[in-house]
Amino acid sequence: MTTSITPTKAGLPPAPPVEAARRGFIEIIAPYAYIAPFFLLFAVFGLIPLLFTFYVALFDWNPIGEHVFVGLDNFDRLLGDVRFWNAARNTVSIWLLSTVPQLLVALVLAHLLNHARLRLAVFFRMTMLVPYITSVAATAIVFVQMFDRDYGLLNWLLGLVGFEHIDFTQSVTGSHVLIAVMVTWRWFGYTTLLYLASLQAVSREIYEAAAVDGAGNVRQFLHISLPALRPVIVFTIVTSTIGGLQIFTEALLVNRGAANTCGPIRQCQTLTLFLFEQGFIQFKFGYAAAIGVALFVMVVGFAGLNYFLSTRIRPVKG
Amino acid sequence: MNFRKVSAVVFTATAVLSMAACSGSSSGTSSSESNGSSFEFWSFTGIDAKGSAAEYKAKRPDVQIKLTEVGNAQETAQALTTALAGGKVPDLVLIQGDDLPKFVQQPQNFVDLRTMGADKIKGDYLDWVISQPTAKDGSIIGIPTDVGGMAIAYRADLFKKAGLPTDREEVSKLWPTWDAFIETGKKYTAATGKAFVDNAGGSVYSQVVNQGQEKYYDPAGNLVYERSPQVKAAFDLALKAVAAGITAKQSTFTEGWSAAMKKGDFAVIAAPVWMLGSIRDNAPDTKGNWDIATIPGGSGNWGGSFLAIPKGAKNPKAAWDYIAATQSPQGQLDHFSKARSLPATPSVYKDPKLTSAKDEFFSGAPIGTIYTDSLLGLKPFLIGPDSTTIGIEFTNAITNVEQGKGDPAKAWDAAVTNIKNAIGS
Repeated sequence: MTTSITPTKAGLPPAPPVEAARRGFIEIIAPYAYIAPFFLLFAVFGLIPLLFTFYVALFDWNPIGEHVFVGLDNFDRLLGDVRFWNAARNTVSIWLLSTVPQLLVALVLAHLLNHARLRLAVFFRMTMLVPYITSVAATAIVFVQMFDRDYGLLNWLLGLVGFEHIDFTQSVTGSHVLIAVMVTWRWFGYTTLLYLASLQAVSREIYEAAAVDGAGNVRQFLHISLPALRPVIVFTIVTSTIGGLQIFTEALLVNRGAANTCGPIRQCQTLTLFLFEQGFIQFKFGYAAAIGVALFVMVVGFAGLNYFLSTRIRPVKG
Repeated sequence: MNFRKVSAVVFTATAVLSMAACSGSSSGTSSSESNGSSFEFWSFTGIDAKGSAAEYKAKRPDVQIKLTEVGNAQETAQALTTALAGGKVPDLVLIQGDDLPKFVQQPQNFVDLRTMGADKIKGDYLDWVISQPTAKDGSIIGIPTDVGGMAIAYRADLFKKAGLPTDREEVSKLWPTWDAFIETGKKYTAATGKAFVDNAGGSVYSQVVNQGQEKYYDPAGNLVYERSPQVKAAFDLALKAVAAGITAKQSTFTEGWSAAMKKGDFAVIAAPVWMLGSIRDNAPDTKGNWDIATIPGGSGNWGGSFLAIPKGAKNPKAAWDYIAATQSPQGQLDHFSKARSLPATPSVYKDPKLTSAKDEFFSGAPIGTIYTDSLLGLKPFLIGPDSTTIGIEFTNAITNVEQGKGDPAKAWDAAVTNIKNAIGS
């Protein structure tokens, strides 16, 4: 395997020994040089910051002051910090509230868009991506206005039909729902297209055969589409888990009055927002790095769980 | 497939982590040329920094100013922090009062302006203002550019409908104290069914807490927020305003706050001088309906900024020349005439240019005298490294009672617990 890149010397005229050695050396390192740009960039922007974060987490690190080595004190403090556990709880809650509806909606939509007799299919498929290509900040600002307690469109409609106004941003549940709606809105189209791509690989004849046998839309969905989608469903669960652990912009923009904590009682402060608050508002880089490491451990944990699951779930062949 | 998944995981995790690792210590070189008469200046958006630079260039055509409007005040402070950590710094930077303490705690990052001549001019500024950029070792790292004197902006038309006086002298007499302010609010709300003031955290707590001689630290630098009578009084007054039901529950600068201001859903805002511009831009249709009265307690300040020269500046001399020329009492007075930023130099407070200044949007209120009068009663108090954090936690506890489901009886203890948790002591 490793030697296959180097051509055999047999057909070549005898070269002076020194030049041959040099050429041999170049030929050995050439393939590494070709792939080096990626790995260099990855090292500079990925690996080194990653390792440096582990290093910074061991310090009381003021970016414009002293760096005092404190060992594992930051982690010790983190584990006893109610704000950290609050942020972790919020993150998981918002992740569940956004992922579950998003995947369900996407599944149904993908099945509908895959329908053979759907008119304007390309149009509908393209519009799915509009929320995804809209700026997160713009989406957040519009949604916060729509959900406003006193002047929002939604509460105005609720008021028209005689309900009390709901204060979405100030309560724990309300703010989580609000953020989850934004996340779902942004990602459901992307997920739908992933599912759709997978469904298109399923032979149409299977659906036709099922239809001939008298299977309706629901049966076709449950017994053909769903089994075919299993691997991609697992994939979207993983990506939305990783994305869900990093929800930031929406949380930052929900409560403009106390933006860095997402409200006065940190009701929707996510882990990344907590990291941002500690790092770039309080300038406690060491503590923020420790939060980053904790987040890393969580992401790796979820990814490992997924690897475990995905090796056990295989598509069911028609 | 699996490799892609794993690498996706690694990449995303890396992206998060690299957020926390933006520090470093490379010694980059500044792009500004070191010919002695040009300098690089970082300022905020929204305060017409271009105008200030152009005024100076008109007087000193030999000087090149490389101006960058970095972002809002907080973003500028964040960029400065990164720049100081990285070594590539501007020659001159504007820092807002709220962001100043963390820089004053690390004075070694800045030129001690006493070496440039700040000793000679420091007497020009209000004592409690110049004390803010003065570090423990006595070095002065910033020169005040303006202050945020306090007053109450009120809707005279809405006061009239509620049967309250509308003349600014009489309105000022309605609330010599904060208790009287809350009583007036009750009358207004009873008569109109609408909220009186925008919120309790910004318009009550943040004002009262700055009217004492001691805030969160004693003069020796010990934390006293738990037993400071001024802090407790401010907190209780804010809760009293909430309990009276006179607040609109709109946090300052939120969408709801803007909408409520446009619709006249509150009649009163505690308005530092720079807020007048916000009101004007936010609710242009209310021109002439507003007026300005004095603040309960008579004095107050919210905001104000400082010019500093980072240690690694290439042209500290050119930067200092700019400070000396534009921030003299006369320079600040000129700037007040053009941009309505309130001088930090009391020697010009009796100047006709200031005392005759009137604002038509606010029914011709004499803003120069109203605002400068509010500055003279203030006392210097120590601002420490955690002052901002402590202030935020107290305000959050009040907001939680006001907007959320917080129990007022437990709010103080909750705030103190949160502060201890946040500052680790």
